[in-house]
Order: sequence, then C-alpha cells, then structure tokens
Amino acid sequence: MEGWDPNTKSTLTQIPLLTTKAGPRDGAAWTQRLKEEYKALIAYTSMNKSNDNDWFRISAANADGTRWTGKCWYIHNLLKYEFDLQFDIPVTYPSTAPEIELPQLDGKTQKMYRGGKICLTVHFKPLWAKNCPRFGIAHALCLGLAPWLAAEVPVLVDSGMVKHKDDTASASESL
Amino acid sequence: MDEELLELQRQFEFAQQAKSSIRLSDRNVVELVQKLHDLHIIDFDLLHTVSGKEYITPEQLSLEIVKEIEKLGRVSLIDLADATGVDLYHVEKQTQRIVANDASLTLINGEVISNSYWDTVAEDINERLQECSQIALAEIAAQLQVGSELISTVLEPRIGTLVKGRLEGGQLYTPAYVSRVNAMVCGASRGITVPTNLTTVWSSLQMLLQDMDGASGVAVESSFFQTLFNSLVKDGEILGSLRAGVHWTPAVFAIAQKESVDSFFSQNSFVSYEFMHKLGIPQPIQYLQSRYPEGIPLESIFVHPSTIEMLDAAAEDAIERNSWIDSLSVLPASFASQDASRILSLCLSVHMAVKSNKALILGDSYVFSMGFVKDLFDRMEKEIEMCNLSGFSGTVRDDLHATEEAKTGKETSNSLADSNENFNVSSTNKQGFEKGSKKRKGKSAGKTGPAETGPDTQEPTIPSKSKKNQRKGKDTAAFQVLDAKSGSKKELDRTKEDNLFVSEEWLIQKIMSLFPEFDEQGMDDPETILRPLANHVRPMLLNSWKERRKVAFTDNAQRMKRVLDNLQRKIDESFLNMQLYEKALDLFEDDQSTSVILHKHLLRTTASSIVDTVLLNLDIHNKIKNGIEIEESQNPESKSLTSGERLPFAKSLPGLLSVKAVALVESLEGKSVETFLTAFRALAEESGLTLKKLDKKLERTLLHSYRKDLISQVSAEVDPVPLLPKVVSLLYIQVHNKALQAPGRAISVAVSRLKDKLDDSAYKILMDYHTATVALLALTSAATGDDEDCSSDRVLTKRVLLEGLMPELKGLQNNSSPCPVRFLLMEGFEENRRRLSTPADSVNKLY
Repeated sequence: MEGWDPNTKSTLTQIPLLTTKAGPRDGAAWTQRLKEEYKALIAYTSMNKSNDNDWFRISAANADGTRWTGKCWYIHNLLKYEFDLQFDIPVTYPSTAPEIELPQLDGKTQKMYRGGKICLTVHFKPLWAKNCPRFGIAHALCLGLAPWLAAEVPVLVDSGMVKHKDDTASASESL
Repeated sequence: MDEELLELQRQFEFAQQAKSSIRLSDRNVVELVQKLHDLHIIDFDLLHTVSGKEYITPEQLSLEIVKEIEKLGRVSLIDLADATGVDLYHVEKQTQRIVANDASLTLINGEVISNSYWDTVAEDINERLQECSQIALAEIAAQLQVGSELISTVLEPRIGTLVKGRLEGGQLYTPAYVSRVNAMVCGASRGITVPTNLTTVWSSLQMLLQDMDGASGVAVESSFFQTLFNSLVKDGEILGSLRAGVHWTPAVFAIAQKESVDSFFSQNSFVSYEFMHKLGIPQPIQYLQSRYPEGIPLESIFVHPSTIEMLDAAAEDAIERNSWIDSLSVLPASFASQDASRILSLCLSVHMAVKSNKALILGDSYVFSMGFVKDLFDRMEKEIEMCNLSGFSGTVRDDLHATEEAKTGKETSNSLADSNENFNVSSTNKQGFEKGSKKRKGKSAGKTGPAETGPDTQEPTIPSKSKKNQRKGKDTAAFQVLDAKSGSKKELDRTKEDNLFVSEEWLIQKIMSLFPEFDEQGMDDPETILRPLANHVRPMLLNSWKERRKVAFTDNAQRMKRVLDNLQRKIDESFLNMQLYEKALDLFEDDQSTSVILHKHLLRTTASSIVDTVLLNLDIHNKIKNGIEIEESQNPESKSLTSGERLPFAKSLPGLLSVKAVALVESLEGKSVETFLTAFRALAEESGLTLKKLDKKLERTLLHSYRKDLISQVSAEVDPVPLLPKVVSLLYIQVHNKALQAPGRAISVAVSRLKDKLDDSAYKILMDYHTATVALLALTSAATGDDEDCSSDRVLTKRVLLEGLMPELKGLQNNSSPCPVRFLLMEGFEENRRRLSTPADSVNKLY
C-alpha cells in the first residue's frame, strides 16, 4: 500500500469491502454484487461529504449496472474543474478492474489511453489483483481516479490544456 | 429488478444529493491566515511549525528556547528544533539572538551551554577526582561529548576553586596524588647513583603506580614525571646535571667519578681510557685534557709527564751503558706497546739519541743503544766468521743444498746448525744437533765423511760438486777459466745461500745464546723483540758477509791466477823438456826392450814430476776457488807424490777435470809416453792450461840450453857415477841433436849406440868408464858390513879409477865435432894415465 498518500490510504480503509465474487454475467450473484457495490459507494460518498471532500457524481446508465456515467471535479487554485466520467463493467469483473474514462480530456495528456481511459499508477493493478473480490467501484474511484485527478489537473491547467469554464465563457463572450 | 437494489440505488442517489457538510479544512485556514496577512490585519511575523499545523510567534519561540536551555543548561540546536517543532533555521536564528543577549550562554558546536552547566560539570569532576585522585581529560571529554580542548579551557579557570586538583598534561590530579608522585620521583631520582636515561626511570615508576592503583590505575604521562623532576631539580631537592633533557647524571656520581679519576691519576700518574670507560666517561681524552692540561694522551692511556721523565731517565741510562731496555718493563703493566712507542717518541733523550744515531727503537717498546747493537753485530759477525772458515768447503754447500731440497722450516735451523757443527766440531756440540747432522748425513748418502774410510775420505764433495755444476748449467771447462765471467752469476747464487745461511731464525737463536738475558727477562715471547732485532742486524751482517766474500773472492781470484800462472810457467818448461826427451826416444824405436825402459824412465821421472806439479797446483787452485784458506808458505814444488797419493788428488778435482786427471795418473803407470802426452793434453785443455808445441827453433834453443846445462853439470860433477849418464846425454845431443834421458839400465845400450858415431878412442873411453861404473855400482851394491875392509877397498880403488877417468869423460863432451873431441880426449887420457899411476897420491888427495 506504500506509494499512496496517507489521505488516500485512510480513506480506502474506511470503504466497506465487498464479498461476492461475481461478474455481470453471473445473474443473481451479480445482483448481489451490485448491491454490495452500492453499499460501498454510499459509504464512500457519505464519507467524502462528511469530510467536505465530495468530488464525483455517478449513476448506473443501464439496468444491469454494467455501464456507469457521471461527473467528477477537482479544485485547483480555488477554481473548480469538472469533467465527464464514464466506464463499463468488464465481463471478467471483478478480476479485471473497470477502465475509467474521461472523454473530455482525450488527447490532452500523455497519461491516458486512446478513448480517454486514464493510465493508472503501477501500484493499482497488483493491489487490485491482490484484493480481487473485495474491491469494488468505490475502491477503483478512490485508488484510481482521485490520485489521477490530483496529479494531472494542476499540470493540465498550468500548461493551459484545460481552461476553467468561466475563462472559456469569458473568452467566448469576448469573441 | 430487485427491490433491494432499487432501494440502494435510491439511497445512493440520496447520498449523492445530500448537502455535504461545510468544513474549514487546514488548507482553508492556511489560506485564511494568508489572506489576513495580505490584508495586514496580522502585522507581525508568524512562524509555523514543521507539521504545518501550528503558528508561532518568534517571541514565544525564544521563550520556549530559553525555557528549554534552563532545564539542563545545555541543549543542542537540533534538540531545540525538535522540542519546539519549529524549523531549525528559525531556531538557530532565535538562539543566536538569545546567546548574544545572555553572556552566561555560549553556542558551541551547535550546542547552547550555560555557565551553570559547566559549574555543575566541574563539581561532578571534582567529586570524581576526589574519589579517583586522577582523571584524564580525554575521559571527561568523551563522557561529556565535547572536545578535550574545550574541557581544558573550561576547567582551567575552575581549577583550584571548584575543582580541587591540578591539571597536568591532559590529566587531572589531586594535590595529594601529585605530592605522592612527586615524592616518588624525588625518591627515585635520589636513588640514582649512576648516569641514567630518565625515560627508563619514568617507565619503571609508571609500572609501580599501575601496580599500586591496580588495573584501574590510569597511566601517568612521563611528561608529568618530567615536570615534577624539573621542579625538583630547580628547587635543588636533587643534585645533578641533565643533558639533552633525559640524561641525568647525579652529582654524587660526577663527584665519585672525579674523585676516582683524581685518586687514580695522582697515585699512578696514568689513567687508562679503559678505566675511564668503566667509570662511564665516554670521551676520556677530552675529559682528561680539560682536567689535567699537563698530561699527555697516548693511544690507550693518559699519562703524567713524570712517567715520561722516568722512562726517559731509564732509557738514557740504558743508552749510556750501551745496553738495551724494554720500556714496557719500566712502564706500568697497563701500557700497551703502541703506548710505549708513543711515549718513547716523547722521551727527549731517546729522541735525541735516535736522532744522533746513538739509539735504536725496535718493536715499539724496545730501546737499544747503538753500542749494544754494534756489540751484537760484532759478535754475530764473529759467529758467522766461525762458520765461514769452514763455510766455504763443499760440504757446507752440500748441506745447504740438502737444506734447500728438504725445505722444511724446522730443519732449516737444524741444518744450519749442522753446518756449523760439522766443521766447528771443536766448538759447541749439542746432542740434538749431532742427531740432526747424522740425519742429514744419512740423507745425502755417500757424503759421509768420517764414516767411509780410506782414500774416499775426500770424495764426498765430488758428486755434489758435479751436481751443483749441473745445476748451474755450466760446463766444467768454463768453470775454471771463466771465473770472472761467471762471477756475477755465482755471486747471485751465493747471496741466495747467504740469505739462507744467516736466516732470521738462526740469528734469533744466536742472539738468544749470546745474550741469555733476553730469555731471562721472563718475556712470554722473546721473539717479539728478537725478531725485529734480528731483522735490524741481519742486513748489516749480510752486507759485511757479502763484502768479505767479495774481498775473499777477488783475493782468491788473484791467487788463483797466480797459481795458474805459476803452473803454466812450470808446465811450459817441463812439458817442452818432456817433448824434447820424448823425441830422443825415437832413436830406440827399433830396440823394444830399451825403448820400454826408456819410456818408463821418462814417465817416472819427468812426467811424474809434471803431473805432480799440475795436480798439486790444480788442487790448490780448486781449494782457493772454494774459499778454503791455504797457507801461503805451502810450496807445491817441494812435494813429490807417490802414485797412491796422486789418485785422491786427481779425484778431488772438480768434475770432468777429475776424470781427466785420473786418466793422466793412470797413464803414468803405463809404458807409453804418447798415451801420457795425450792424457796430459786433455787435462791441460780441461783445466785451461796452454801447452806449447815444440817447434824447430824452440827445440834448438832448448837443446842448446840443455846442452849448456849439461856441460856445466858435467864440469861441475865430482861424483863419477852420475857423471856417466850426463855425459851420455850430452853426447847424444852432440851426435843426434836429441835430448836423451836414459836410466842406468839403458846406458849401456845408449853407449853402444854411440859406437859408430864416435871415434874409437872416445868410444873406448866411454865404454871403459861405463864398465868401471857398472863394476863400481855392482861392488857398492854387493858391499856389506862384514867384509868391509876388502870390498870397501875395492870400491875405493874403483872409485879412484873412475875419478881418474872423469876428466876424460868430461873432455868427451867438450868437443862439438868428432875430431876435436878425439884430440882432447887423447890429451885428457894421458893426463888420466898419469894420475892413475900415482894412486896413493890421488887417494891421499881424496881423503
């Protein structure tokens, strides 16, 4: 677990672990799993809110709960930068972690695969594999997306790749 | 759709919708404070802690720091930074300000230390010091984790007040301890009586202290001892002198040293350096010279001038008494020979004597007066002379040769003694020598003189002679003739022999026997002096010896020459006569018996006298040559030798000469003059004599003189018997011009041969006379004591008759030609007749 900043670590430990090992094709087991996913997400969200650290909104985009969409944001220099968020549950889930996509930032940074899939740290995969059935979506967000945002957004902003919406608005206005 | 799932979906939605609680995070607070700063609401410096969670004002920080310092009195900056939680930079800045404002604080090596801390430390140290009586600063420094230098600077002002003790070379000592060690040093130093290297003393003291303190005892620096010692010396507690900081010479030692040297020198008036070394004075000469400027340094000894005076007196005395002195015997026993020679060179009188050639220094310590040496030399010379008398004889040489061959060192002296002994038998005889000589004789076999009897007594020289000649590679003819030429070479040979003859060992032996005091001196090795003495005398002896030899040699050469000349002269004469006589023998070639008789006669008479002369002269020559003294009075002519005597003479001659001589002697016994002549010629050739050939002129003069001689003889002759052969010879000269030497037996033949050459009357007279003579001789030989009267009468009458005939016979030869002879003979005959007629008268006349 080294390599993670202490905040992430403490947060991660507070997210309830999952028990059911089931993929989207496992029927009832997947439903069970989905329930656990929700519980974990609820716990994580409430935890974030109580820490005044709310940073995302997601919801299932289909009934099966294999596709999720939402928004995430990051505050840099007292400005809020918000991005769209989407990912699919792979069929081999939970052995394979979901690939989180930020389509708006596609092509703007090197730390990203084609299609806006973020590149996770080298620590993520082994940690995920080690905690195979117990980590869920909440963990993936906490371990994957949150550090990525913290690392990449200031860079993107400073380099001017990403502009605050107010700026763009003012720019468009001025145009 | 599962109810539960839906419910959960809703819950999640709700949870996401729920308003998040507003919290002022750290970040917000920081931002706020920053905003306040920007707005100048907070117008003073604010520091934040390392954790970033706290803000602190500098005043508070300095307060906290002071509090922290006051706790222990000593705090390191790092500890302060930790304790206050403020960055080290700010802590440092703040601390520097505090230290600058407070004189009692110091900032050393990142540590703030107050004076009170040092006071407590000093008190601690004092406590410990009183317990242990000594502490090393290094130990304290290590304990306090500060530099020992710092400790010492801090402790120095406190020593004597807070710390009751003494700081010495990085060690702290209590006064009690110091005084104890001081006492030890004092005791040890006072105990030292000989010069000592102090470091060894200190190390032993250190050992002692360690033993006393046990294992915990701290090593005491030797410098501590040294400072204590120095103060002791300064205070005069201990006496002595210190050299190079570590070499301590106690005063008591120096005094004792001085006193012992003083006493020894004053008692003995000399001091040996060895003695000084024993006393521990490393440079005795300088020491002594500075102390006794009048003294004289020698090789191994330092002497007072009085010693020299004493020696000088003794040596002077010895020189004056024409004696000798061993300076070592006068000087104390500790004098070495080098010292003796040194001191002798300082003796004024000896110096003068040596300079004026009155004395001689030999073998370092021996002083000989010239008188003594001269005396020795004379006596040795005499000694040598004694050997010389016989030394020239061949046997000495033999011995020498034998010695050379033997070449064994020990035997050399023996054989030399032999040479003396053999020929000075009358002089000192020693058993050992005799034995040696016998041995020698045995060695040179056939040379034994007295052992072999008979005619061989003189023979032993011969073989060795020849050997020697061979050795010299010279032929014997040259040996005698070329004396002068070969002289130099021989001289070389002789010097070699001389050297051997007067060898060192021999000289030493001789000196020993001549001056027994050398032996009596009780010298362990008399050789030490005798050898140099012998060496000194030997060249002189050899010189004198050589000179004598040279004189003798020239003398001998002259004499040899004289002898040879003499011989030559004699031989010339007699050999010519011999040749002359030999010619006459031709007349009797036809008559065998007479010829033999004549030959024998000639050989026995003339030839043997020649041979005798030659042999005797050659012998003398030989002897002179070999250096044997011959009495000048000895006259070789007076001697006539028997055949038995001749042979040894002949054999005694050297080499080939002897062979020839022996042949000659043998030819004498033969029957032929010719063989004798050839043998004689050979000998003459060998001995370098020249033989004159008889030529016509010479023959004539010789004959003439012979004739004259005969005539005078005949006219002077009164005895009738010998007259006849002379007359016959004279007649032969007149008739045949040949000189005949005929014995009595051959006279008749000779007379009969004259028959047809002479007148009848003359012949008759001759015959008559002859018969009368024969009768007379017969009568004389037949005459015995018994019938004296008649026979003597008859002899008398015959003699008278013969005497009467004598004038006639004498008359015969007075005429060179036959006619006058006859005439005269007639006259004489008549006269004779007349005289014969009066026998009584003639008888009366006779008696």
